[in-house]
Amino acid sequence: MNPITPIINGMKITFKHMFMKPVTLQYPTERPKVSQRFRGLHGLKVSHSKAKCVACYLCPTVCPAKCITVEAAEDANHDKYAAVYEIDMLRCIFCGYCVEACPVDALKMTGEFELANYHRQDFIYSKERLLEK
Amino acid sequence: MVNVTIDDKQVTAPKTATIYEAAKLNGIKIPILCHDKKLKPFGACRMCLVEVEQMKGRQIPACTTPVTEGMIIRTSTPDIIKARKMVLELLLLNHPLDCPVCDKSGDCDLQNLTYEYKVNTNRFKDEKFHHSIDYNNPLIERDMNRCVLCGKCARICDEIVSFGALTFIDRGIETKIGCEFDDALNCEFCGSCVSVCPVGALLARPFKHKARFWALTKHTSVCGYCGTGCNLTLGVKDNKVLTTIYDENQGFHKGQLCVRGRFGYQFINSAQRLTSPLVRKNGKLMETSWDEALELVAGRLKTGTSVAALATPRLTNEELALFKTLLLENVGTKNFDHSAGFAHSALTEGFTRSFGESASSASILDIQKSDMLLVIKTDAYETHPVVGFEVNMAVKNKGVKLSIISDKRGKLSKLPDATTLVHRPGCEVAVLNAIAKTIIDEKLSVDTAMTVPGYAEIVTALSEFSAEAVAAQSGLTAADIKKLASEYATAEKALIVFPVGQGYAGHNADLASAAANLALLTGKYGKEGCGVLCLSEKNNSQGAVDMGFYAQDGGLNSLQILDACVSGAVKTLFIAGEDPLTSYPDRTKVKAALDAVEFLVVSELFLTETAAMADVVLPACSFAEKEGTFTSTDRRVQFIKPAIRKNAQTKTDFEIFSDLITRLGGQSVATPAEKFTEIAAHTPGYAGLSHITLRKEGAFATAATKPAFVVPNSTPSPAIENGKLALVTGSVLYHNGTLSQYGEGPMHVCPEGYLELSRMDASVYKIADNDLLTVSSAAGSMQLKAKVSSRMPAGVVFAPYHFSSAPINSIWTGSPVTMVTVAK
Repeated sequence: MNPITPIINGMKITFKHMFMKPVTLQYPTERPKVSQRFRGLHGLKVSHSKAKCVACYLCPTVCPAKCITVEAAEDANHDKYAAVYEIDMLRCIFCGYCVEACPVDALKMTGEFELANYHRQDFIYSKERLLEK
Repeated sequence: MVNVTIDDKQVTAPKTATIYEAAKLNGIKIPILCHDKKLKPFGACRMCLVEVEQMKGRQIPACTTPVTEGMIIRTSTPDIIKARKMVLELLLLNHPLDCPVCDKSGDCDLQNLTYEYKVNTNRFKDEKFHHSIDYNNPLIERDMNRCVLCGKCARICDEIVSFGALTFIDRGIETKIGCEFDDALNCEFCGSCVSVCPVGALLARPFKHKARFWALTKHTSVCGYCGTGCNLTLGVKDNKVLTTIYDENQGFHKGQLCVRGRFGYQFINSAQRLTSPLVRKNGKLMETSWDEALELVAGRLKTGTSVAALATPRLTNEELALFKTLLLENVGTKNFDHSAGFAHSALTEGFTRSFGESASSASILDIQKSDMLLVIKTDAYETHPVVGFEVNMAVKNKGVKLSIISDKRGKLSKLPDATTLVHRPGCEVAVLNAIAKTIIDEKLSVDTAMTVPGYAEIVTALSEFSAEAVAAQSGLTAADIKKLASEYATAEKALIVFPVGQGYAGHNADLASAAANLALLTGKYGKEGCGVLCLSEKNNSQGAVDMGFYAQDGGLNSLQILDACVSGAVKTLFIAGEDPLTSYPDRTKVKAALDAVEFLVVSELFLTETAAMADVVLPACSFAEKEGTFTSTDRRVQFIKPAIRKNAQTKTDFEIFSDLITRLGGQSVATPAEKFTEIAAHTPGYAGLSHITLRKEGAFATAATKPAFVVPNSTPSPAIENGKLALVTGSVLYHNGTLSQYGEGPMHVCPEGYLELSRMDASVYKIADNDLLTVSSAAGSMQLKAKVSSRMPAGVVFAPYHFSSAPINSIWTGSPVTMVTVAK
């Protein structure tokens, strides 16, 4: 084979790509559109202006990474609610089992993926931070 | 035994067994909701339907049908499975599917069966119930919407607890379990109904929403309150005891517990627990290191004979034995005792003299095997509720005759055909003597009685206790005494039961001897269903006696130790777990003694009033944090192991004593197991026992009997004075000793001391419930809330002793009966 041929073939591909749409995103000015079923940061759903979660402990039970801490309590109407609901994002493997296990559809996974932080403590998401805004 | 075929398997079963029991016995599982092995067959749920070939393929309930010879039973044909599915569908029709918020989830029979039978859909449609939920009491929540009407709660409350708080009310589709007049639950809160509920209709409120069932680690243990020796399963999560779990296979009581055992566990993880050694510096208790505290204590213990010690019988056998070794060998003092000295005298003096052994001559298991029970004081139910359940079952199921000699009526008096002889307080010994005298006079005694040493003396000594004379003194009739005597003597098997404790000063060696005399006269000892059963107060009271942890060979007893503190003969006092300031008689004297003693060391779980006066306070461990053995009132030795890790800054009493022995230059055994090997070698009856053999289940320490008649001293009860009432002290159902003050459950139902008085006295003094009364005796006066009840006879008032907020020992100085005046 002519030794020039491979170079020409290679440059062909290179030049072709110069006129194609780039696949990379100019993050952070450009942001990806995550799919519907993307498993990002968890969110606690709200209904009638309070969390839907009834503190049934199924999510910490099913969690393979043991990153969810729930503490139940009784409110003024004798109903069960989660007094503490914490997820340790450093341990979470984003498998989504917690959402699947939830019997009252109180938990979801949002498209939020920017979870970087400066302190370990900041990766422990409290109920307040998890509630959907 | 009969031969039956279950699911093509040839099996045998006892003649009395039902199909369900026969199947269970042979490892074949039949699903069930309404059955508990302690209760009578009921047949409410229809889950246990089986087919019997001889009955032409009809579906019959296994739990109510007895087996017959040659029965061919099929437990899971497609037809049966279809029928069971339908039963579940019908139950789930009305059952709210609120498993996520129901604490029963994970332990729920209905939930498990729904999974097992894969009931995913429901062919029927109906509305759910809308019953209101009973949140009125702090211990038991009743949500009748979840109820499956198995009736177990109503039956256990009737058949075993004999309270009858719950029953079916209304009929048809509106049937529900309710209390009288469909009112709020107000009972003795033993929680038996909660334990047997197959669904979440009855729940323990102290555990509400604390954890899910599957997250709990189950640790078997032995209850740390009374001497019954009930077995417990503690539910532990994150090193905290969160609840007690019902296990119908546990212990002689088959998982039955009382309010203290079931709801009184919170003291274990109480925030009030001591977490660091304290040393008094400049008059104030300051936190310090273990090394400093123990060095200080060891230095004081070197003073030898001027040291004395009091220990609570809540310590394990190993700890008590080690404490005794420390005191006898390393310190060199014989001055040690427990339980105010008198609470164990029935065993250490009474039974030792009468039976030659410091233990009861009967066990709790004898109660149901007897023909007649003679209970001294109705308080036996309050002090030992699970023993009380045995009495209930004996009377109601086995037709055992129950006679009670008491200074007040009580729950036991309400049992069917129970006769209660209510005598003037303080006459127990005289009444027993009169019974003995009647037995001798009417020649009802057995011939062998005459060969027992001391027979001649007892006959002469009893001459002044004729039924007539005692009747006049005790307020009974001679006919009643004679009737009771002949009933006791003629019964084939008869058992005498009496409680002892720090609230029962009259239940001493004399009472034990008087009771023993009856058993000896009629030959009712050493046989099944016969004997004298002394119900010791604390979980290891019998163990403390077996370990010899009481004043012997010239050592000072509890009350003498306190006197010696005042006189200066005792300069260092080591109190392990006792709270004499609340529980010993005569508060003024105790306070003076603790003030006077130069150096006071207290090892405790909490900063009790006594601990607050100490120079050194050592934080100790509860039963859930240590290893060892407890000996129950009928000498059942049971092993406990730690259910939770102890706080790093606390030490078990075993570690404290062993450290002190080392500091005093001795050599201590390393582990409780080693100490127990020593105990087994030296304690009569404990031979052959070891931690390894006891690990699986407890064993009885045997007792050899050497009977002898002993003349009991009968102290005449104090004369009735005009305008004065006779105060008797004792225990209340919800409490045991002073420890239960730190259990939330008991404190929810009985938070403070009170004075219980009769309706007659209440109307004379114009007193209503909850009136604040000033009660005065010769020793002092105090304020107590009034509780008017129908069980007290006129002229007699009762007060429990457990409360440091209302210490009854400020007016009670240790006599069985105290004359008091009551004013509003």
